[in-house]
Amino acid sequence: MGASLVLECEHLAKRFGERVAVEDVGFSIAEGEIYGLLGPNGAGKTTTMKMVCGLLTPDAGSISIAGRQAIGNLDVKALVGYVPQDVALYPDLTAKENLEFVGRLYKLDRRTLAERVNEALELTDLADRRDDRLDSYSGGMKRRLNIAAGLLNHPRLLILDEPTVGVDPQSRHAILERVQAFGREGLAVVYTTHYMEEAERVCDRVGIIDHGRLIAEGTRRELVAGLGQQDSIELGASGDLERLAQICLAVPGVVKAAAADHSVRLVANDGRSILPALIEAADAGGFAVTSVDVAEPNLEAVFLHLTGTALRE
Amino acid sequence: MRTALAIARKDLRQRIRDRSALVVGVIAPVVIAGLMSFAFKGVENFTYTLGVVNLDHGAVSAGLVQALETPQLRHVVTVRPLPSAAVARSELRAGKLGAALVVPAGFSASVATSRPESLLTLSSDQFAIAGQVTKSIAASFVAQLNADRLSVATALAAGAPPSELSSLAGLASRLRIPLQSVERPLGAHQLKVISYYSPGMAIFFLLFTISYAARSFFVDRSQGMIERMRAAPVRPAEILLGKALSVFAYGSVSLLTIGVVTSLAFGADWGAPLPAIVIGLALILAVVFLTALVIGLSRTQRQAEGIASIVVFGLALLGGNFFFISSAPSVMKHLALLTPNGWALRAFTDLATIGGGFGTVVEPLVGILVFTAVVATAALLLAPRAVRV
Repeated sequence: MGASLVLECEHLAKRFGERVAVEDVGFSIAEGEIYGLLGPNGAGKTTTMKMVCGLLTPDAGSISIAGRQAIGNLDVKALVGYVPQDVALYPDLTAKENLEFVGRLYKLDRRTLAERVNEALELTDLADRRDDRLDSYSGGMKRRLNIAAGLLNHPRLLILDEPTVGVDPQSRHAILERVQAFGREGLAVVYTTHYMEEAERVCDRVGIIDHGRLIAEGTRRELVAGLGQQDSIELGASGDLERLAQICLAVPGVVKAAAADHSVRLVANDGRSILPALIEAADAGGFAVTSVDVAEPNLEAVFLHLTGTALRE
Repeated sequence: MRTALAIARKDLRQRIRDRSALVVGVIAPVVIAGLMSFAFKGVENFTYTLGVVNLDHGAVSAGLVQALETPQLRHVVTVRPLPSAAVARSELRAGKLGAALVVPAGFSASVATSRPESLLTLSSDQFAIAGQVTKSIAASFVAQLNADRLSVATALAAGAPPSELSSLAGLASRLRIPLQSVERPLGAHQLKVISYYSPGMAIFFLLFTISYAARSFFVDRSQGMIERMRAAPVRPAEILLGKALSVFAYGSVSLLTIGVVTSLAFGADWGAPLPAIVIGLALILAVVFLTALVIGLSRTQRQAEGIASIVVFGLALLGGNFFFISSAPSVMKHLALLTPNGWALRAFTDLATIGGGFGTVVEPLVGILVFTAVVATAALLLAPRAVRV
């Protein structure tokens, strides 16, 4: 990797009482790189991000941002832009007032603040609504402004925590385009999501986190290559999908099986050839298969292979 | 400090944008103080008409009527002679009299006997205070009469000839019981009702700032704004200071505005401006730390609202914001001095009655600052945990 490292985390650990939230997590991100942190809800993504932002103090491990030790270092926070999962802005203030307030938190002087607010509003296509109160905005516009607020301090590292949750397709597309542009502009980005297709689309590298541990890391190609010649199969069905997953797992060639929303996801050797046996087994178990999708291995299959569970459970 | 000011400025902007700020901060206290003043107007300059039915027409009853027309009673009682107790009762029922006093026939003659006649007071629930005052006047007159009788009896027992009875009685009647209670204001000026309820209501609504500010903190937290502030290079102390500054600024403007409006519109007397301002600022400081304490004690917005309500109404009741603390039982007077608002009310009352400058408010100021120091210690221990994410 030619670019310099912006974020380096080593052996991060965090407990809440008896519960282990994060254990021995380490990863690094270079300038211009978009790093996806993938995992189901409760996997430890947000705890990891909060430690990187300085919102939580790790029980163990180290965090370095732009070569500077970050834990307990207030100044380093000025190098980080944080976009929380929920829109964290005041509904009774205008877009401009919200951004000015956030900019003042970063101690921007008056002139710089005015420039950055204009820039952030232009960047997120909200300049013409600058004087409207946030409670008059659509959900997508609020999300865009939420991202704009994370850019005001011109960060070296931008942390986006599930920025597209609850956003309409058009706004989601715009946000993903913008995130890709951040990478091209040299920003190091941490992008947490549980949407596989988003991670596949925007992330240069992906870390898969489950039960507080980073269980795999690499580019999409590297992670998928780990599956060998296996295919990803999705069987659409209804009823007790856990039982259907068990039935499928008994079919020779099926490596992993997990129930998801209205479907069962499988990783199998030579998926196309075992399809008739799968459908027959499902039928014998009293399940009507409503759809079948066989795909080249993807991150979803990687996650299923590594954890034995579907990501969107 | 710049960040704290930014937080305070933002909080004030939101507070002002919320129309309830003007209502709670200025309009409600001014209106309620005005209404209270109007409602208690009668207490301030109490007068009533006393019907006197003199069925005796003797020397003693003439003395009673004469006593009722002395300068001490003239500004309270307007005497109206009536022919009979029945007429007095009728006029009392019609609300034309506050109370009536009936001197029975033969009253003067009975004074010299061993079984004197009784004075009869007539009163109605409608004018309870007038009835009480009349009973006090009658009791006072009878006490004087008994003292005269005792003097004469003592003189006769000591050997004075019975032929001197009338001159002895005359001498005794010119003597007065030495101890008499005389109602007189403590200071140079009498306290006007509006001068009590203006600061009373201003302080009561100032206490509401605790509730609003604590709630606003938890709204900030639930909206992720405390997290956003902590993700920026902002110290927890700066967040708390910013919140405190906004409470201080809002409280100052509210108290000052109410002071000016009630003085100009209703003639409320807040005393000398500088000592009054010092007391106001000390009280606002107490409110700031009370807010921090409520935030420190609460985990959720609902908890904060509950605790704040208990604090606000508890302090207002104990401190005497709703009633004249001077007319409350002794225990209430002592409890009032455990509250900053009780001390502040005492300071404003003293400034309006005694007058004077800083010397008048030293004791209340110390009282408020001691309370503030205790609350601040607890708040500084508890509040920082509230800004942890």
